[in-house]
Amino acid sequence: MARPRHVVGYDEPGRRAILLGNEAAARGAIEAGVQVVAGYPGTPSSEVIETLSLVAKDFDMHVEWSINETVAFNVASGAAIVGARSMATMKNAGTNWVMDMFATLVYTGVRGGFVIYSADDPEAFYSSTEQDTRHLAKAVGTLILEPMDQQENKDLVKVGFDYSEKFEMPVFVRTITRINHSSGDVEFGPIRKERNKVAFDRHWKLPWRWNVYGPFKYKGKAGPTAKHAWQLEQLEKIKEFVNEVPFNKLIPGETDLGIIASGIGYAYLSDALRKLGAVGKPWILKLATPYPLPEKLVSELLENVKKVFVIEEGDPFVEEQLYAFMKENHPEIPIYGKTKNQLLLRYGELGFAQVVNAVAKYLGVKAPEVPEERRKIKAEISKIVAPRSSALCPGCQHLGTYWGLRFALLKISAELRRQGVKGVWIVNGDIGCYEQGGYGIFAKPIKAEATTESKLWPFNNPYEILDTNYIMGGGIGLAQGEFQAGYRDGPIVAVAGDSTFFHATMTALANAVYNKAAFTFIVMDNAWTAMTGHQPSPTSGVTATLEPSKVFKIEDVARSLGVEHIWTVDPYDLKATEKAIYEAIKTSWEKKTVTLVVARRECALQVVRRLLRTGGLPEIYYVDEDKCVGCTLCVQLGCPAVGFDKEKKKAWIDPVLCVGCGMCAQTCPVNAIHPKTKEGR
Amino acid sequence: MGMARDEYYLMVAGIGGQGTVLLSRIIGDAALMKGYHVRIGETFGAAMRGGSVHSHIRIGREVLSPLLLEDEADALLAIEPLEGLRRAVVYLKPGGVAVLNTRKVYPIDVNFGVARYPKIEEIIDAFNKLGAVFVYGDFTDLAEKAGTARATNVAVLGAYARLIEGTDAPFDKETLIEAVKGRVPSKWIEANLKAFESGYKLADEQLKK
Repeated sequence: MARPRHVVGYDEPGRRAILLGNEAAARGAIEAGVQVVAGYPGTPSSEVIETLSLVAKDFDMHVEWSINETVAFNVASGAAIVGARSMATMKNAGTNWVMDMFATLVYTGVRGGFVIYSADDPEAFYSSTEQDTRHLAKAVGTLILEPMDQQENKDLVKVGFDYSEKFEMPVFVRTITRINHSSGDVEFGPIRKERNKVAFDRHWKLPWRWNVYGPFKYKGKAGPTAKHAWQLEQLEKIKEFVNEVPFNKLIPGETDLGIIASGIGYAYLSDALRKLGAVGKPWILKLATPYPLPEKLVSELLENVKKVFVIEEGDPFVEEQLYAFMKENHPEIPIYGKTKNQLLLRYGELGFAQVVNAVAKYLGVKAPEVPEERRKIKAEISKIVAPRSSALCPGCQHLGTYWGLRFALLKISAELRRQGVKGVWIVNGDIGCYEQGGYGIFAKPIKAEATTESKLWPFNNPYEILDTNYIMGGGIGLAQGEFQAGYRDGPIVAVAGDSTFFHATMTALANAVYNKAAFTFIVMDNAWTAMTGHQPSPTSGVTATLEPSKVFKIEDVARSLGVEHIWTVDPYDLKATEKAIYEAIKTSWEKKTVTLVVARRECALQVVRRLLRTGGLPEIYYVDEDKCVGCTLCVQLGCPAVGFDKEKKKAWIDPVLCVGCGMCAQTCPVNAIHPKTKEGR
Repeated sequence: MGMARDEYYLMVAGIGGQGTVLLSRIIGDAALMKGYHVRIGETFGAAMRGGSVHSHIRIGREVLSPLLLEDEADALLAIEPLEGLRRAVVYLKPGGVAVLNTRKVYPIDVNFGVARYPKIEEIIDAFNKLGAVFVYGDFTDLAEKAGTARATNVAVLGAYARLIEGTDAPFDKETLIEAVKGRVPSKWIEANLKAFESGYKLADEQLKK
């Protein structure tokens, strides 16, 4: 066997390597002998499949980027039903997408081990919400494993398959950004060589095992209700078992203060106690199964303490279960955490600093402090630290689309005002790189008011163009609702990327045509799922494992869904882009129909990466200062490579950042921006 | 070289695309070679390029968690000056060592005229006020001369290697070079080693002054 393309594939038990949490999870799946892995890219979960796709052939596993999490989950479920070890990966928002099948699959359970890898994002570094997905797994009733670090992220994924097969239930691994996107040294274990036999038996162990509507009879009930009764029995067995899980540990202490630390809470606690010189002081229950709680271990802890403090990332999930459990058993012991006796915030990430301070307070020891004099110096320095708003990449094709959209909206709006219409547009955003069209400029103050009339908010850059933004596929639905509610003060637009188009908008597009909504849908097709790291999508022409595949054309799909007015444009051509979007909006407004613009150009980062390998980078651009009149139009394009010298009143282009797209040159009314050969590249 | 410490903390600051993540992993590998546990907390922005990125690196005999406390960083490696300042003001301990690349990358807030980029002299002044032991220079220029601007991160590392000589940092120049070789693609190793040496030399000259 040739050496695998990633260290996670090395069959070297005992080896220690620095792995990203998600790479560690990939190693765990390899060690468990996983056979099918499916997911949809979503930060912070994506690197599991990215890593596995590099070694899929070495281990004879099927690894795929599915079109969305629902499909991925169903693919993995099917694999588990025929006995294969399978895994579905997703971010917090993706877990919402899988709930229908997840809630139903637990009624039948699985045959092959099935691990659901759900990556939460406290502090919402990369997400619409801070949602704690542990609630979802508890709601359907199955085992939750929660790792404390990269090592456990590997180990728990690995044992997750064993536990899943032991109870014939899917196992939910709840992990978080700080583990997935942090790295740590991980010790490898042995790789399971044997593979589960793939076989199908309709009545495996139970009649009509894989059909919730099948005439399965149990405990006086039939069908889904009978299956529910069976599931609850399995859950009871899991409740007993969690007391034996070696990743849960009761650690005696010298005082009568107790701490329950779940997942990364334990890692922070352990480091905090060293920092505070309080190692060995509290009793600690280190928890890796936030649901179900290991009640025997919890009881043993409570026998030895007078107070208990719960440290966990996300909602007070363990804490609330503890309230319910202790109401009968130990009502006299106060609970500290995120609810009544609050030591930790309920929002934002848990974080090391917060844990150090809270533990110090709880134990009555002194937390490290920054002296007052130094605080003052820092406060003074902080005043000059300019914010750095998130921006699209240099040469990003979305800059061209947003330039065209901005000027098309201005033009239409002016025309509508002449007809007595307010001309207040609504641009509905979606999830992808282009969502940065709604990140705004951090340093810019905004004044909000309660108004009753539609109001136009002018802007001069691509980062303030999206009026609404929520979730994958949200924008195209909102656009229809706005129209159906009778919004006629101006044009309605929805945007989405190509990966999002396939993930979440096709059914909504059919709905729009069928139910006669009118708005303009702009799909920004850059041929990849770019934001999460350029995973292939149905527009890429390759699969996760780089097998050539069909290239899907968005126009063809839209046409077959009934969209009659379609424009295709290259966003690097600013004039043509503005014209196409203008025509599409005008047509939608006049004909009261759905119109579509496909702005197609491959992601500039991908192009530059390829050119770096093969040579032939385009010439970069510079500003001829003698010609520049300081109008700032080029700056308004929003490219991070284009800056403005306030003193000289001249634009300039950063030669390191410029990728030679030439869009800024098109914005210049006096032809002051020209290409030049870049040296030292 | 003094006795290496049981726990040592670093921070790497820069913007997306500058190789902060790679640099943290190089440092992590070096610590691993010296038999330590390593945790690296990486925060990259939502954008693939251009966002503020910083890595917390915790090296120790027992460390489990990936984040630093205020004033806890023994060292700061700043690949971009504003980002260096942003993290120094929170994390760099008094007397901590720092390398400051002076090649600016303007935030869009500055481009749109709603924020001001501090002058390099102001940043240097702030590092002094924070009690940093630091060297500064245009490491991007050094990297370009070594063959590629992409080796800026490794040029900064070279300067750091000089700064920690004779201190209780848990690694040395040779280990760091070994770690660079292990992480950088083979066709870029030469340029990176050259950048490393240029950075080392710059720091050496500045420290002698």
